[in-house]
Amino acid sequence: MLQWSERSPQHWLEFVNHEVCVTARDQQRFEGRVFTVDPVSASVVLVSVQENERPSVRVILGHAVTDVQILGRGTEETERRMKSIFLPSQTQILSAEELKSRRESLRVWLEKNRVPVTEDGEVLRVANALTISAPYGSGDCSCSNEIILARIQSLVESNPGEQQTSHTSESSDNLMRRSDNIC
Amino acid sequence: MSMKTPVSVLRLPRGPDPNSRGFDPNSPRFIALCPTTVSTSSSSSGSVDEEEQRLRSELRERFLRTLLLMTDKQVQFDMLEKVRVRARFGASDIDVLNFQVSDLETPLGVQKEALLRCHDVISCSFEL
Repeated sequence: MLQWSERSPQHWLEFVNHEVCVTARDQQRFEGRVFTVDPVSASVVLVSVQENERPSVRVILGHAVTDVQILGRGTEETERRMKSIFLPSQTQILSAEELKSRRESLRVWLEKNRVPVTEDGEVLRVANALTISAPYGSGDCSCSNEIILARIQSLVESNPGEQQTSHTSESSDNLMRRSDNIC
Repeated sequence: MSMKTPVSVLRLPRGPDPNSRGFDPNSPRFIALCPTTVSTSSSSSGSVDEEEQRLRSELRERFLRTLLLMTDKQVQFDMLEKVRVRARFGASDIDVLNFQVSDLETPLGVQKEALLRCHDVISCSFEL
């Protein structure tokens, strides 16, 4: 019988979005809906399903998991609600003109900072390595090189043309921490 | 007079390679500290590997978002031997071996900065 941490991603995926009871090494039991199982540490992330309480998140370290039992199946709705907790909330739907002006404003700002940027339809391409898609915020940058990503992200955030939120120096601190956390 | 048997010196594994990001499954640190239980599927056809990689990426991204959400929050840690402590979560290392925390509340007082060994942590929880 394989240990939890020896299982495959396919096996772990079978539990995602379902309500489970996790038994831990010290016989403690935890219930909740599975958001994910970390493939590196096999840790289980549970989201509490109580309706009237503040939502809480629990991470059970992979080495401590002895058993996981499904209590109830999730639905598309539960998946969507769970995801909304973790993923940054969607900004309001912007019109095509607003998107265009944001894209343009960002392109001009990047060019001002001597960053090689080209427009490719609705997407901005930076140095053939990074793409920025709508709505052209720092979270919309996609790149496989984390150094380039961090630099461009901080540039995007410091664009004086688009003041989305008021935090300035705080955001670059968060950015540094985020790029250190993300691995 | 009997001679005591000399005890062999155990050398700790070297730290991560300073020139790379450290996420090398063949690195001495990873092999020494992470049990080699993260197995890939045994069948070796290309498309199965691709699908498995896609699953791993999806699962890992969700986990990283969990860590992001946990950052700077007050977290309750359930440790071994029924020990419970609270602290502000700072960061995890790449292999989920250590958690960096601040203002760790211990019976001896509040520790400004600390590293918690993930091996000693059973679970941790926080409210949104």
